[in-house]
Amino acid sequence: MINFSSFSLKNGLKVIVHEDRSSPLVAMNILYDVGSKDDDPAMTGMAHLFEHLMYCGSVNIPEYDLPLQRAGGENNAFTNNDITNYYLTIPSENIETGFWLESDRMLQPDFSRNKLEIQKKVVIEEFKQRYLNQPYGDVMLLLRPNAYRVHPYRWPTIGMDTSHLESIGLKNVRNFFLSHYAPDNAILTLSGNITAEKGYNLSEKWFGPITGRVAARRQLPAEPPQTEERKLTVERNVPSHSLYKAWHIGPRLSEDFPTLDLLTDLLAGGESGRLYNRLVREKNLFTEINIYITSEIDPGLMILNGKLLKGTDMTKADIAVNELIEELKNSPVTENELEKVKNKFESSTVLSNTSILNKAMNLSFCELLGDAGLLNSEIENYRAVSSKMVTDTAGNYLNPENCTTLYYMSALKNQP
Amino acid sequence: MTSLHRSQPPIFPVNAGINIPAELFSLKNGIPLFIIDAGTEDVTRIEFVFRAGIVYETIPLVATSTNMMLSEGTMNYTAEELNSILDYYGVFLNLSAEKDTAGVTIYFLNKYIEKVLELMNEILFHPAFSERELDTMLKKRLSWYRINKQKVQNLATDNFFESVFGSNHPYGHQVKESDFEVVKSSLLREFHSRYYNPQGMTVIVSGKIHEKTITLFEHYFGELHFENNSPTDFDVPIKGSSEKKMFTEKKGALQTSVRIGSATINKRHPDYPGLKILNVILGGYFGSRLMKNIREEKGYTYGIHSSVTSLNLSGFKIISTEVGKKYTRKTAGEIYKEIRLLQTLPVPEDELEVVRNYMSGEMIRMFDGPFALAESFKSVWEFGLGNNYFLNFMDTIRTITSDEIIRLAQLYYNIDDLYEITAG
Repeated sequence: MINFSSFSLKNGLKVIVHEDRSSPLVAMNILYDVGSKDDDPAMTGMAHLFEHLMYCGSVNIPEYDLPLQRAGGENNAFTNNDITNYYLTIPSENIETGFWLESDRMLQPDFSRNKLEIQKKVVIEEFKQRYLNQPYGDVMLLLRPNAYRVHPYRWPTIGMDTSHLESIGLKNVRNFFLSHYAPDNAILTLSGNITAEKGYNLSEKWFGPITGRVAARRQLPAEPPQTEERKLTVERNVPSHSLYKAWHIGPRLSEDFPTLDLLTDLLAGGESGRLYNRLVREKNLFTEINIYITSEIDPGLMILNGKLLKGTDMTKADIAVNELIEELKNSPVTENELEKVKNKFESSTVLSNTSILNKAMNLSFCELLGDAGLLNSEIENYRAVSSKMVTDTAGNYLNPENCTTLYYMSALKNQP
Repeated sequence: MTSLHRSQPPIFPVNAGINIPAELFSLKNGIPLFIIDAGTEDVTRIEFVFRAGIVYETIPLVATSTNMMLSEGTMNYTAEELNSILDYYGVFLNLSAEKDTAGVTIYFLNKYIEKVLELMNEILFHPAFSERELDTMLKKRLSWYRINKQKVQNLATDNFFESVFGSNHPYGHQVKESDFEVVKSSLLREFHSRYYNPQGMTVIVSGKIHEKTITLFEHYFGELHFENNSPTDFDVPIKGSSEKKMFTEKKGALQTSVRIGSATINKRHPDYPGLKILNVILGGYFGSRLMKNIREEKGYTYGIHSSVTSLNLSGFKIISTEVGKKYTRKTAGEIYKEIRLLQTLPVPEDELEVVRNYMSGEMIRMFDGPFALAESFKSVWEFGLGNNYFLNFMDTIRTITSDEIIRLAQLYYNIDDLYEITAG
């Protein structure tokens, strides 16, 4: 049970405090309700590039990292399709430095042309390092635009293409800030060696004077239901063939979410899942195989990825996966199997809560979903999943007409 | 509303409480058990450590394969059964075979401790090494191996270790595709019986410790029989390549991976804390000179880092980055320029102050929570060191002078001694 206090400032900023006196540190997490789904389709990669720009100084602070390091702190951030999340940990006696830094860049980051141009270069190198110059690195650039036709989940967070990043100018960056970076579009969570009272007073002092800007409410096109199986094949210089399948699932808050999550664990939870036991251990078709859900707020995907054993025919591998999925739809999972994945979920949840930083991030994200307290009811929600729910849910979602399949073929000569 | 003056709030000195509350218990048969009782959640982390790392293997892949096969079936359970049971009890199990040590780390909820220890006894001392499971595992590893050989990062790193430590030394030896054909169950059994012994095992337990924990350890591990075959010491000398520069071409690569560094001292040497501080200034944190110059000012790369690592028989320092192909020469030039600056000009006091405080904060993070404590404990125990190492380190962070940094930069970063390994 994670106890917390929460309150809102007049400008709309939500503040959550979880006190944990066992740590000498405080973790400070600021979640902005803006992700790559808010990118202009002609300028994808903006939300993530903006995260980089938030480190280039702000109106009263020429450099973000330097004073933080001077106060013994450390920070990082990530952007995904839904959110941009900034976090730091700092010795509790210096937490006010964290407030000073984070409030100043919420107030007004410093946008100089030179810094923008440098960060564009940095992000383009990141694009190459992680997506273009990596074996299998372009999979999401292929899979997403096929699984989604209209919803902005059709591009990955890094963007569709480096040319989009190149086209971003100062004016675009300023507008993006004004539309999304506002106190009423953010959730501030403090976790660790701090009282709720101190957290409230410091929030009021540093964030209170920032004017509420009323962030733009997003209106995203809903993805129409997929009605036909989609398939594509590419050839790349990779050592082995790889199979990808993506099925549409419901949104993060749909009732089916815990069932879908457990379903992926039943199929591929580590080395005891059905996919691994059947297709790797028994049939020797793949060298590894995994399945997961993207956990996005809007309707997301369940994605399967298997690396084929040298010599395995792609069609044969695909058929074997489909057979295993049909079996899941038609024969109930055993109580023991279900208990296993629920226990594993409980264990991972409790272990994750041993870190003040994880607690701060999780509370922020649950608050974005509607209530920070959701964090405390998750285990119970997963416990309520029944064998019948698993069978029904598999039947509802894991159908060929709801699926995009990617055959990622090796073009190297030593492959059969 | 009065307007707020947005200047930096006062900074208080950062004081890391340096104390790892590790208590030593010896089981009946002498197995050392270090207990770190800390934390708020009812969970435990246990690390079982053996001197069974890559340095002890005479045939490539044997140390890592032995380690990876521990959870692929035992005397009483098939691989599938074993993994299902581990998941049923919510156990997170990490296998690791490093250059010197190898072992297993587990995380679990305390309510399952009895079953977990029973399983760990099987995993550590009665693995099955089934030929069939080994075959599956080797195929998986071969597939990873082939993928890694497509990555410029891996090509450069593998070549770096080979150049620095020599191809005959296990620290530098590179795995070849044909090595996968040599690995057999019998080799793993032999390695296991020699190096995964009760007498060679150390256990580090951290988390919320219950009264019955020690009793359960006695029950599952205290009765194990010790045999008298102590591992032989390893005596191949470390001899780096005489060729200091090496480039491997990777057709179609969009980036070049750069690795610059050499062998160096380890934690047992009195200069080590100072060298770590020098490393932070050069490229060990976000505000480092390399990061500022090469990423933040020039935009050649997504990231550049330098690190210093201790090994049992040596140590190494390495600067790593992936840069756009056309920036390779310029990047190497800037790296050498930054090193020369550290060798000739004193580090300004405010920069040093930032590094002192940043590293003090890091020290607090290293001691925050039971799992971090356990990792920090192991990092010094491995070298026969204890709390004093950290006290001395903290003292060096507070008192190191800019003259001392120049001395260390001249002594340990002689540019002619550095290897420059690139791939792309």
